[in-house]
Amino acid sequence: MGGACSRKRDQQVNEETVLRGVNGKYSKSSSSKWLRTSFRLGVDIPQGSGKCPSLMELCIHKIRKDIDAYINKYKDFTMLPRDISQQIINELIDSHCLTEVSLEAFRDCALQDINLGEYPGVKDSWIDAISSQGSSLLSVDLSGSDVTDSGMVPLKDCENIQDLSLSYCDQISDNGLKHLRGFSNLTSLSLKKNNSITAQGMCVLSNLLNLINLDLERCSGIHGGLVHLKGLTKLESLNIRCCNCITDSDMKPLSGLTNLKELQISCSKVTDLGVAYLKGLSKLVLVNMEGCPVTAACLGSISALVALSYLNLNRCNFSDDGCEKFSGLENLRVLNLGFNNITNVCLVHLKGLSHLESLNLDSCRIGDEGMVHLAGLVRLKSLELSDTLVGSNGIRHISGLANLESLNLSFTEVNDSGLRKLGGLTSLKSLNLDSRQITDTGLAALTGLTGLTHLDLFGARITDFGTNCLRYFKNLQSLEICGGGLTDAGVKNMKDLTSLTLLNLSQNSNLTDKTMEMISGLTRLVSLNISNSRITNAGLQHIKPLKNLRSLSLESCKVTATEIKKLQSTSLPNLVSFRPE
Amino acid sequence: MKKEDTVKLISAEGFEFVIDKNAAMVSQTIRNMLTSPGSFSETQHGVVRFPEISTPILEKICQYFYWSLQFASGKETEFYIEPELTLELMMAANYLHT
Repeated sequence: MGGACSRKRDQQVNEETVLRGVNGKYSKSSSSKWLRTSFRLGVDIPQGSGKCPSLMELCIHKIRKDIDAYINKYKDFTMLPRDISQQIINELIDSHCLTEVSLEAFRDCALQDINLGEYPGVKDSWIDAISSQGSSLLSVDLSGSDVTDSGMVPLKDCENIQDLSLSYCDQISDNGLKHLRGFSNLTSLSLKKNNSITAQGMCVLSNLLNLINLDLERCSGIHGGLVHLKGLTKLESLNIRCCNCITDSDMKPLSGLTNLKELQISCSKVTDLGVAYLKGLSKLVLVNMEGCPVTAACLGSISALVALSYLNLNRCNFSDDGCEKFSGLENLRVLNLGFNNITNVCLVHLKGLSHLESLNLDSCRIGDEGMVHLAGLVRLKSLELSDTLVGSNGIRHISGLANLESLNLSFTEVNDSGLRKLGGLTSLKSLNLDSRQITDTGLAALTGLTGLTHLDLFGARITDFGTNCLRYFKNLQSLEICGGGLTDAGVKNMKDLTSLTLLNLSQNSNLTDKTMEMISGLTRLVSLNISNSRITNAGLQHIKPLKNLRSLSLESCKVTATEIKKLQSTSLPNLVSFRPE
Repeated sequence: MKKEDTVKLISAEGFEFVIDKNAAMVSQTIRNMLTSPGSFSETQHGVVRFPEISTPILEKICQYFYWSLQFASGKETEFYIEPELTLELMMAANYLHT
């Protein structure tokens, strides 16, 4: 059960990845910190991967390796053209080789970007060398650092900065923000998760007339401060997610920001009343109100937003009352209604939303009869029906959605006979069938779905016999079969799934060291979980070829942490997370 | 080696390196000079002068060209760079898009 709960959490929608793809700089979350610190270390010139490194790359690599010697010899890098010193510092940062000492060598190099987001050890004493770049500096990322208000003082000379991230810098307060006053070129400012910033400190924002993106996610003290945004008419994106201090009155000053395209107010206290202030923002493309205490009555205001294509209303306590207004949101491409108290009655009103490409109905009180209303949404690429009462009878209505690429039927009533109706969905790439009613028979009905890259059969009752079907899914990148019915003989059928990067076979308590031998050719594996099995230390030896492995879980096996650590140091250089530890 | 298959690269000090054309074309800058239609005299004569690149650096660059061809054919060895050449080499590499 614990496993099931944690899996659910992973399915939460992340607006930033939806809209921008995986954008490095401004989409970092604190939880990715360990990834960055661990994975970037020891990144080497790619060997054996075929791509020839350029001479420039070789030189930069060389300098990074012997940085101290170079600094001893040349003292600093000011003699280099800016674009070269920029590449050197980027390499040092990416490989985590930059120190306060080596940063000094870049003093006055007229660098444009210093992106130290989540970089370990950054503090006030680093700022002087950073601000010595003066008017050349365009982009600075200090997120997650220990920089304080006094660190902000020297930075004020860099008045050309366009992008500034001070997210997770909880030692910066209103006093530090004051020094941003002259940053009239600033277009992006990120102040995520800062609890010291208050409405008073935010008055500095009214000077930043060129601001396009402002991120105040998880700032708990900014209630009343949005009035200072009134004049920022260029603002296109405002993120105040998870600011639980934000109320209806905070929406009022936004009503004139007519260039806003993205607004995220999820998990705030904004109600229907507050949403009414947004009516005039006709350029809004994305509105995220997940977890806000709004009702279907706000759809009146929302339907005035003619450009709206992305609407997140997950966890809003919606009921069917007033849901007829959904039919007015004809331009929507993405609609999230998960975890609401809506039934089949509401789905009637989605029928006409013919542009929908993604629909999330996770944990809604919908069932078979409602599915007929989705049958005409032929542009749907992604459909989330997890934890609903939808069963095999309902599934037939979606069997014609030929563009579906992702379908989640976990914890539904769908059984093997229902899966037969999915055989025609040949665009499917991701299919979640984590449900006890699914067995080998159901899997056998899906062998035509050869484009599948992700298949989740976590709780399904798949046996060795069923694994014979896996050979049809040669493109699989992730596979989970954790129903307990597998033995080594079944794992043998996975040998040719060489595209796999994630494999979870935990809870199959009959798997032995032979399994490890069988998967030793799956060299692209990044994550492997065979917990609760009979694997021993001896079996570990077989996975030495899995050089890409970053995460290994062998909990409740006969494997010791010491042996895994040994393997890590001799054969698995990329392994950063392992159990037992 | 036929003359049209080679090019002559001339360093700041006037030292001449005659190398395979396909090796020289590892550099995007040289490739452009040798292949762009008409205008460049380099295209016709197969001679390129580098008044800004010193002899030891140009020699190293030629070595890199051949190393790169070997690498592409599957022979992945290490390319050694003398520490004292690195910075100058980088500036040349930058200019040559190499």
